This record gives sequence, C-alpha cells and structure tokens, in this order.
Amino acid sequence: MDILLDENYGEELLQQTVNPDAISSWNQFKLAYQAAKASSVPAFEGLVALNHLPHIDFLPHQKEAAEEIIHQMQGRAILADEVGLGKTIEAGLVLKEYLIRGMVNKVLILTPASLVNQWVIELHEKFFIQAYAPKKNPAWKEADIMVTSIDMAKKEPHQSEILSIPYDLIIIDEAHKLKNPATKNYQFVKALQKKYCLLLTATPIQNRITDIFNLVSILKPGYLGDLTSFKKEYGKKTGNIDSNLNLKKLISKVMIRNRRQDTGLADTKRMVTTEWIEFSEEEQKVYQMLESIKGTHPSFTYLTLAKELCSSREACYLSSKQMYDKLGDPEATGPLHDLISGVEQLPQHAKAKRMVELIQQTDEKFIVFTEYRASQYYLQWYLQQHGISSVPFRGGFKRGKKDWMKQLFRDHAQVMIATEAAGEGINLQFCRNMINYDLPWNPMRLEQRIGRIHRFGQDKNVQIYNFAIKDTIEEHILNLLYDKIKLFENAIGELDHILEELDIRDLGKEIESIYSESSSYGEAKIKLNNLASVISSHSEPYRRSSS
Amino acid sequence: MKEAAAHEQFIRSFFYEYECPIVSDENGRLVVQLTDKMDEALMNRPFYWHYIKKMGRQGDPMSLTLITNPELTEEKGEYIHSGSPRLRQLYRYLLENCRYTKLYEAVQRFNQQSPLVPWLIVNIRVSYYGKQKKDEILSIGLNLIHGTMVSPIMEKLEKYQLETTISDYTFPMTPLIRIPSGYQRILSFIHDHIESTDRTWANKALETLEEEEQLLHAFFQKDDDEEREFMEKELEGLKGRFTPRVTVDVLNGGLFYLTQETTNELIK
Repeated sequence: MDILLDENYGEELLQQTVNPDAISSWNQFKLAYQAAKASSVPAFEGLVALNHLPHIDFLPHQKEAAEEIIHQMQGRAILADEVGLGKTIEAGLVLKEYLIRGMVNKVLILTPASLVNQWVIELHEKFFIQAYAPKKNPAWKEADIMVTSIDMAKKEPHQSEILSIPYDLIIIDEAHKLKNPATKNYQFVKALQKKYCLLLTATPIQNRITDIFNLVSILKPGYLGDLTSFKKEYGKKTGNIDSNLNLKKLISKVMIRNRRQDTGLADTKRMVTTEWIEFSEEEQKVYQMLESIKGTHPSFTYLTLAKELCSSREACYLSSKQMYDKLGDPEATGPLHDLISGVEQLPQHAKAKRMVELIQQTDEKFIVFTEYRASQYYLQWYLQQHGISSVPFRGGFKRGKKDWMKQLFRDHAQVMIATEAAGEGINLQFCRNMINYDLPWNPMRLEQRIGRIHRFGQDKNVQIYNFAIKDTIEEHILNLLYDKIKLFENAIGELDHILEELDIRDLGKEIESIYSESSSYGEAKIKLNNLASVISSHSEPYRRSSS
Repeated sequence: MKEAAAHEQFIRSFFYEYECPIVSDENGRLVVQLTDKMDEALMNRPFYWHYIKKMGRQGDPMSLTLITNPELTEEKGEYIHSGSPRLRQLYRYLLENCRYTKLYEAVQRFNQQSPLVPWLIVNIRVSYYGKQKKDEILSIGLNLIHGTMVSPIMEKLEKYQLETTISDYTFPMTPLIRIPSGYQRILSFIHDHIESTDRTWANKALETLEEEEQLLHAFFQKDDDEEREFMEKELEGLKGRFTPRVTVDVLNGGLFYLTQETTNELIK
C-alpha cells in the first residue's frame, strides 16, 4: 500500500518560524485546526453532502440512489428514474458528495444543448457548485466543472483536448441517445478518460435489449459479457422470464430505476381526460376528400395529411401545397388540388375552439403541445384573438430565448404552446394543466411531455387533456394508446419492458406501418386491436412479477 | 440548534481575529464590516482594488450580512450552514494562511527567571483512499528536549494562553532536537500508526480491483490492436480508482514554548 508523506514540511517550518509575516496567532492557529476538522470526512460511509445542503428536501429515494451509486456501485451507474423523479438532483448530490470528500475535481457534464444552462443554474443555486458553460474558446483544462453538449465537445479542436484530460467524473444526461455503438457520439464518450461516470436516462431500453448492453459497456465493459454471447442469451424475442430475471438482477447492480409508484411522488395524481371532438361538417367533408388521395399517392402521404388535418388547416395546407408544387402535373394532382382548395375554405379548427373553451374556464396556466410548427403559429394567433396571452416554445430556440420564454410563461403569459422538441428538459412545475393538442405516436415522447409538469416539485394534481377527433385516425391511436394499453395509468417503464420483450422497436413506426400496409380502415383497426391485446396480455405477467 | 451556535461562534471569532468589527449581532443575524484586507481576501473583486490602489484612493470595503438562524433564512443575507460557500471560503482562507506559528506560553512572574520548553506541534490530515475515501485528523506534539510525543495535543492545549511574543522573566530553551528531525520522528510515528490500523478497507478495494480486471480481460479481444489499447487504458483507470493508498498532509504546525508545569501536565 502506498503511503504518500509530506516530507518537506519540517524544513519549511524551520524557515518560516523566523519570518514574522508567516506567524499566525494562537487563535488563528486554533481556528484553522477547527476549519480542517469541519471540512474533513471521518468515515467511508454515508452522505456528508446532506448536511451541506440543508435547504433541499431530498426525497428518500433520491438519498438512497446517491448513496447506492457512491457506496455500492463505486460511482459508475445508470440513473434511470422515471421522468420527473429528480435524476438531476440525484446526480448533483453524487457530484457534491465526491467534491466534499475531495475524490473528484475535474468534471465534465454532457447534456443536450438546450439543457446546458439549466444544469449550470441548478448546480449553482441548489448545490453551490460553480460550473461553466463554455462559449467560444473554452478553457477545458482550466475550468474544473464544465457543462456542454456532446455536439460541441466532439468538434475539433475541443475533442482532442477533452480526450486528453483525465476526468474524475463524467455525467451524461439523456444518455439513451448513446445506444448505438456505431455512432460518433458513442465512440467519443467511450474514449473519454473517466474515473466515475453517471448516465442519466428515463428510458434505458428504448427499443432493443442491446441498448442496455451498450450503455453498460460504457460504464463497465465486460460486465454483461461480450455482445455475441449477450445477444445469444437475452436477445431472443421469446418472453423467457427466467433468463430475463437473471438479466434484471445483473443490471440492478449498475442501474438505479425508481418508479413513480414507489416514491412519494405518487401523492400528486395525474388526472387524464379525453376530449372527444367532432369535426364540423366542412371539416368532415375535407377529411373525406383525403380518402381519394389514397388511390393516387403513397400511403404515407395520406397518413401525413390526415394527421395534419386533425391538427390545423395550416399544417395540412402547408404540406399539401408543398406536395402539389413538387408534383406539378395537374393530372396526377387532381385530388390534391381539390384538397387544397377545400382546406383553404375551412373555418376555425374544431380542436382550437375546444382549447379556448377549456382555457377560458379558469385563470390557471396551461401548456399546450402540438406536433406541428404551423399549428403552433395558428394557435398562438387564435388565442390572441380571444385575448389570451401565450408564449411559443420549441427545441430550435437558442438557450437564452428558452430561459426567457419560460420566465415569460411563469410570470406573465397564461399559455405556453410547445412543439415536440420542447419535450425534453424544461421544468414547468408551476403549471398543472396540459393539453395534448395532438398526440405523438411514440408513447415515450408522451411521457417526456407529461414529465415537464408532473415532476419533483409539483404540489398539485396534474390535469391532462388529450384531444382527439372522432371518426379519424386520431380515434384509433387514442384507443390504442389510452384505452387498450392503459398508457397513462401505467408507468412508462413497464411499457418499456413489454415492447422490448415483444421486439417492437418503435411503437410509432409500428402503427404507421400498420396503416400503410392496410387497405381499409377496418383492416387497420383489427390489426391495431391485435397489437393492443398482445401488449396488454404481456403486461399482466409483468405486473404480477414486479408486485 | 447546536450546529448553528457553533457556526456563529466560529464566525465571531474569525472576524474578531481579523479585526473586522461586528456592526450588529442579534438573534443569529450578524453584520460584519470588512477591512480593506479582508474585502480583498473574501469579496472577489480584484479589479476594484487594483483600480483603487492605482488611483491612490481610499477603498470602500463592503459589509457582510451573515445569518445562522435557520428561521431567518428568508431574510436578505447569506445563510450560513455547513456547506455554505462563505463558510467554506473562510475555512480555505484559514488553512492557506495559518500554516505556521511560533508561540510562547503567557506567564505572569515577577522575579524568578523561568525556562520555556520547546515543543513541535503538527496537525495532520491522513486520507485513506480505497473504494471510498475517509480522513483522519491527527494532532501530535513532540517535546524537542527529550523527545516525548503526545497525541492528540490540540485539545489539551486549548485552554492555555499563548502569545506570539515572549513574556517577561521567561526564556526559551534551545531545542536539542532540530525541527526537521523532530518532524521526521512524527512522520514515522504516523507511518506506524497507519500500518497498524485496520486494513479491511484496503483489502476490499484490492478485491474489487481484481474482479474488475478480470471482467475487462474477458470482454476484450486481445488480438485487435485498437481494442487492446482501449483495454490498457481502462485497466490503468481501474488501478487509479481501486489501488488503496494513503496521503499524509500537514494542515499546520509550529514551534511552541511551554512552561515546565504545562509540559508536565501534557506528558502526564
């Protein structure tokens, strides 16, 4: 065992005793001794950081997570709590503990660009940790704690400099984006020099079981064997529970996954209401016209336009106009042409009207999610017509603008209208109403949306309105996601496992292909029902085994 | 709250020691007027002070409002608790600036000349790095006349009055043991102390190291150059994380001249 002694102090002291400037008074000397005692950590066990952060009420599962990561997992872990349970808080606590213990100095935090500022602010305000978000010419070597995006970090000359630094701790937020080992991002992360490493994701297995293998290989190469044997053992799509339980056990040693139902957060409930809306007669007519497009255009054209028409005239008009302009030939574009002129004459959208009615019933804040930029513009205009203040939000905004919009929403506006890309990372606990103006086809994204308001810090019950138009494609989707799979009641993590057992890689794509491969509504409906019943039948044994 | 009271006491002593008057002090809320020197040391505004000095002007040092009473945390001011940045900063300042001392026990004698016995006092932090890390604070005194060692010593000295100047009618005895060799004796004492402590933590770390190394070897194909290079790097990293080691750092120390009575008291 190495013992590293400070050999020179004796000589130093000898010289300094004749230097009056270096001599401290007895009281100063005693205070310094007291300071040293107060800032040292006398035990291997426990979390000292808790005493240092008396202003934060950590939830029990958060303390346990940090303790387990440090003491059982040796600082290398996947932190996979469900959305809104405070993964950032847990990671901050781990970081703080290591800093206090003096085990970590050099830290790199990689997050999506939109979350960089939020990390810096949270670390500073909650944890008293000074972190830097590099702008131009970042001083990677000088600053101890850096928060940046992978996109920036992997650019030259940053990449080579970063790879040359021996980091003590690396934290990667939204780590599910690293599931593919062939990507540059994955290679980059794998090449980082690190002592400790936290991977944060709400969906550790997004599509395939090998996702988890790839994540674990960043933390602990070899822990799950090599890829070939892993695939052989677990990659089959049969629901071999025994071998999966075995895997579950293995993974539980490198992964922490708290579920909402196991934590105090279950106290605030999600109340989900489906708002069935009927198209006006005119709208219904235009929707019928879409049917005729089926014959002359590829099925995804129909799907796209149908989805868009259910959202807003604007969204549908934009795409159909684009298609029309591209095709040009008046012969082939006959139905498209009719559609466009039909869309042009539509009155205000039925859903938009319903949205305004809902919002006008109360003074409370609402966040409205739509999939389309065109609908976002339209809704903002429409709200304004009714004297309701709103702010837009989308992924493409610059950091500063995002913070600004969030602040405007908190302090002034009643409504925030967000597009999909806004789903990750912003925290809006001060708002408890959400309107899913149109539903994403991938349920993971829905969970991300809800997580914006139903998260750590929310003290009221959360009200979610799902809009769907009767007798349209939306009805099928909502039936499938909501009624059959009971998506909203069940933790998303469960669905995770089920889909992965069934080898369904992307539920959204699955549904899309059902539609495009079916020749009629009836056929699509039957197929969707089949899919739903397969999924729910798989959830039964899973629920039994986990309870 | 005990902790709050301790922090308050610490802050009072600190600013008293560094000659910053406490302007108001009630109910766990202290307002401290900083001196130029402490403003420069604590307030992180080097440009201001650079400018003031260059212009030959009188600086305007700031005041600090420090709150130790947890019930007042809503008020304006800095809330002081174990982890608060300000407290940490004061700790750091002390540890950087109070590394050395030379002190004489204060005595009131009027006629008889009395000798003061030289002691080397060293406060040390021993850090144990295994899978986790812990610190141990040692405080060791070595009599520089006959080599007796006392540990821990700071707690015993607490109550004595010590000055940077020597009292009348007293005289310091010349050490028989030089400070550097006295220090070496203390180091070898610490070395023995470390060797004799429980090694479970170190063995556990070594076990983990071995397990992890085996995993790596099983994972990588050694015939691939790139893979092998990566594995070597990972192995290196594992050694850094799990090889048990101990560091010994001096916090502060000094030459202390103590009366024969006190010396006897300490050795007893």
